[in-house]
Amino acid sequence: MNTPKAASHSAADKPEKTHIRLGFVALSDAAPLAAAKILEFGHSHGLTLELCRQASWAAVRDKLLSGEIDAAHALYGLVYGVQLGIGGPQGDMAVLMVLNRNGQAITLSNPLAEAFNQSGNLKQALASLGRPPVFAQTFPTGTHAMWLYYWLAAQGVHPLRDIRSIVIPPPQMVDALAEGQLDGLCVGEPWNAVAEARQAGRTVAVTSEIWPNHPEKVLASRRDFVALYPNTARALVQTMLEACRWLDSPAHRADISTWLAAPELIGVPRELIAPRLLGDYDVVQFPKRPLPVSFFDEGAVNYPRPSDGLWFLTQYRRWGLLSGDHDDAAIASAISQTTMYREAAALADVRVPDEIRADTLIDGRIWDGRDPAACLDGFAVRA
Amino acid sequence: MLRVLLVTDTDKPIGDLRQALARLGYDMLAEVATPAALPKVVEEQRPDVVIIDTESPSRDTLEQLAVMNETAPRPVLMFSNDSDQQLIHAAVSAGVSAYLVEGLEASRLAPILEVALARFAREVQLRQRLAEAENELADRKLIDRAKRLLMDRHKMSEPEAYATLRKRAMDQGVKLAEVARQLVSMTDLLG
Repeated sequence: MNTPKAASHSAADKPEKTHIRLGFVALSDAAPLAAAKILEFGHSHGLTLELCRQASWAAVRDKLLSGEIDAAHALYGLVYGVQLGIGGPQGDMAVLMVLNRNGQAITLSNPLAEAFNQSGNLKQALASLGRPPVFAQTFPTGTHAMWLYYWLAAQGVHPLRDIRSIVIPPPQMVDALAEGQLDGLCVGEPWNAVAEARQAGRTVAVTSEIWPNHPEKVLASRRDFVALYPNTARALVQTMLEACRWLDSPAHRADISTWLAAPELIGVPRELIAPRLLGDYDVVQFPKRPLPVSFFDEGAVNYPRPSDGLWFLTQYRRWGLLSGDHDDAAIASAISQTTMYREAAALADVRVPDEIRADTLIDGRIWDGRDPAACLDGFAVRA
Repeated sequence: MLRVLLVTDTDKPIGDLRQALARLGYDMLAEVATPAALPKVVEEQRPDVVIIDTESPSRDTLEQLAVMNETAPRPVLMFSNDSDQQLIHAAVSAGVSAYLVEGLEASRLAPILEVALARFAREVQLRQRLAEAENELADRKLIDRAKRLLMDRHKMSEPEAYATLRKRAMDQGVKLAEVARQLVSMTDLLG
């Protein structure tokens, strides 16, 4: 059932902080935050949520670090970038839970998409441009940069040498593509759907092809938020688990699309948000059936598995964003709040999946987090 | 003198800063108003300092340049007791973000940030925040009252009361607080 359990905490479990400011970025996968706020899932856990839309991931980071927001819908990789201080300020960070898997895509300009679909060979299609191709993604250490680089490298295109990779805010990406300033982009929905609707480009790959059920957005906070307000953090995870569970029903996803279309959330017509949020893709376009964005899937989505974090650290090493003698496994396990998550999951009656998960990625390599050094050594295309 | 780049892609009056900073002797580069134009300007004109609205979506473009290009300015955001750091914090809360090339003292930003701060009306922001917080509290009380009404008069459990309010909110396409408001005012009307 989707109804939350009656509140039954003792005084000792009461949230230390009851008003929570939650940052989010205008994307379809902010749906759990929208649902939690609109339906006030927090109230039964003693929390009042306040949604604070952010114009950039840099603003999410700054406001988490300054304490202006308590927690946020954040790119998995942003948390690790801040933990390591890559290109900016450093802070000890926490991943409270995973908010969604899948749901991002790669769009190519119309001529490039046509060349790619005809030859089936990306390298050849890019060469037809006769100049270095320009690709946009969303944040230097973010998920979209990593999906894009992995996808290119798997097809023999070196993401640091053969293309120029820039960051453009998602709403402007579609404009830049339409104006011919970009040849391709990797971004979350609804922006790929918007690009298709405006006939600025075509979706040629969804991210589930790159890594089936890859981790995407997380609920992030500073680590001291969890230490200072453990009951609040647990109550927040319970709240968001209930929101994620609520989103598993197609009817509810259709409902939330209407909300997400509002100017204060995404500000894009509902017709461009709903289909892909419901997993409805034009399947003829894709070699493999796209996996829909998932928010819950009986709890398989949400466990903050340290090996997911380790994947990002391994990719940072691959692309020269991280070097030197760090204990990557220790970094990932300190960020991933597994103990607190297990408590919250038990209270919310959510199953915790197995610690080890093995997936086959687009290049045929298997990732299970058990031997990142060997995995790194195996990459032919790297910085 | 420091080479300063202003990014003016939002409604905030950062543009006014140009004359003020030029008067202080800073070398002001031509302003940039789109994220797509940023990489070229940063690479070719080599600014020491970039000043940008905290709420600008173009900030992530600067973040990428900071990671990929060693000579590009990096975000400045540190918090300690140092008075310069307090100034940086004040600037961020007021909506001014600064990027500075590596190797330059953060203190050299101080006069720039002071001028920028003076141009932002922080008061407005704070007043807005207070009003939002009061609304939240009022909504919360309303929802609790509506829930209790359903529990008392219709013998519902707390989860049932919630589920009823939620279903109605979804069916009508309005916020939960709005459903609560309707229910409470109907009850007040009918007694």
